[in-house]
Amino acid sequence: MARVVLNDIRKSFGAVEVIKGIDLTIEDGEFCVFVGPSGCGKSTLLRIISGLEEQTSGGIEIGGRDVSLAEPAERGIAMVFQSYALYPHLTVRENIGFGLSLARRPKAEIAAAVKKVAETLQLTPLLDRKPKALSGGQRQRVAIGRAIVRDPGVFLFDEPLSNLDAALRAQMRIELTELHAKLGATMIYVTHDQVEAMTMADKIVVLNGGRIEQVGTPMELYEHPATPFVAGFIGSPTMNLYEGKVARQMGCDTYGIRPEHLTLSSDEGRWQGRVRHVERLGADSIVHLDVPDLGPLVARTTGDARIAPGEALWARPQEGREFRYGAV
Amino acid sequence: MKRRQYLIGALSLAVAFVVFVIPFIFVFLNAAKTAAESATLDFSWPREWRFWQNLVEVVQARDYMLLLAYFNSTVITVGAIALMVVSGAMVGYLLQRRRTPWNRIIYGFVLAGLIIPPAVVPTIWLLQQIGLFKSITGMIFIQCAYGLGFTVLLYRAFIATIPRDLDEAAIIDGAKPWQVFFKVILPLLKPVTVTVIVVQSITIFNDFTHPLYYLPGAENVTVQLTLYNFQSQFVSQMNLLFMNILLVTVPPLIVFVFFNRQIVAGMTSGAVKG
Repeated sequence: MARVVLNDIRKSFGAVEVIKGIDLTIEDGEFCVFVGPSGCGKSTLLRIISGLEEQTSGGIEIGGRDVSLAEPAERGIAMVFQSYALYPHLTVRENIGFGLSLARRPKAEIAAAVKKVAETLQLTPLLDRKPKALSGGQRQRVAIGRAIVRDPGVFLFDEPLSNLDAALRAQMRIELTELHAKLGATMIYVTHDQVEAMTMADKIVVLNGGRIEQVGTPMELYEHPATPFVAGFIGSPTMNLYEGKVARQMGCDTYGIRPEHLTLSSDEGRWQGRVRHVERLGADSIVHLDVPDLGPLVARTTGDARIAPGEALWARPQEGREFRYGAV
Repeated sequence: MKRRQYLIGALSLAVAFVVFVIPFIFVFLNAAKTAAESATLDFSWPREWRFWQNLVEVVQARDYMLLLAYFNSTVITVGAIALMVVSGAMVGYLLQRRRTPWNRIIYGFVLAGLIIPPAVVPTIWLLQQIGLFKSITGMIFIQCAYGLGFTVLLYRAFIATIPRDLDEAAIIDGAKPWQVFFKVILPLLKPVTVTVIVVQSITIFNDFTHPLYYLPGAENVTVQLTLYNFQSQFVSQMNLLFMNILLVTVPPLIVFVFFNRQIVAGMTSGAVKG
């Protein structure tokens, strides 16, 4: 089966080390998301797993086989690129069947495989079109089809949804999750969007500066972020984080509280501040407060809360929802 | 303003007419005259139309030498261009895609091919040493070498506009390096390839000096060299010479008229991203 094991992977470009020793096991059939800010090495790590980039040191196992030095085509993987990377001179049918025709499979077998994939992805009416005659979402599906037809043990996705508009992205998130359930293959998905990570992953790997910050299920990361970095990265709007004097007063190096774990009130609480701005999202309102001695504080409250800029408000953290890092 | 634009347009057309069209008309008229009449080299209407007779005479001259010349020129042109397209695209691909310290050196050679003028005598010496002097094969190699620098530059600039993701997608699909090139990259190079074919085929087909130096011998004649058939120290048959010019000029002209739009497209398509 397709269990992926990374053993102390390191990668340097010249004198710069971008991947600084990564040990990770991705179980068979797992949907694993690499998430992190740009430049954290997540795409490089994916390219190392795919074999497009060679690691400087360390080993990779896929399905119990050491593939550290294997060619990309021999690793049992398929990859979906951010730009889709469809061959512009070939039709959808030829794009999907390209890998099989390179492997010199019989024509009937290729046709059957392409047909099956096209039915899975509802691409059948588009089979004879060229990529330039397709919409963004359709191109995305062709790129996924090209991956599925190889019947790989591991799917690699490199920010596949970042070129789509918001509505289509939400739809594709669901389609990808369903596809994962249907195929049961291992999937590794790279994104900088924590919403994609939270909604799709079985396991999230948060990367920062070439190192793993934390590995866990989405709710584990949300409820128990191991470091201030993870705390600030997972969750939207981002957690309020304070360092320095303010944090020391509360007995730690970094103090954090999520916007949704603050209770606003007009007469009592821990901090009093003045409302600078209110973002109304319909179901929720995001309130930006200026608190003297603390700084800006973001709180989430109900959509119908009657709050106006300039108003003075109290905020109180909910019991057991505060995070203290480097507590003395 | 409008009036000025109109004047400039009319003036440019007039200049173009004088420079390009009048000589052509002159050649056409003289090609239809009798030998005696054309010897005066007047710009006048032929008193007696001998267009067809002159044409037949030119084709039959010196045992159908013109047909042999057409054949030789075509072989040289097709051979040199096939070689140039395949090797130029490959070199351009590697120069653009693979970053190695050798790239600078190779690029230096490519530029040298454009900058340094070819030396005739050493080239002939080299051709003699490797036994290719006075052979069509040798001529094909020479024409290919002369055009290769320009071809590589064109291909390299165009390949820079093809996303690297395509190469990588093909590699993941299991393509070997040569399959990435021939099955994915080369089909996408069609616009530049058309440009290269048209520009170079006109250049090579019309080449006079290089076949003159490197390809002596009656059996090796190329189209431009047949012009010597009708011009010698003592006798010049101007009407036949002009007919010959006409026959030699027409094929490249037709190619150019049909493909000039693609030439411009191919030349500029790589220009945005280099």
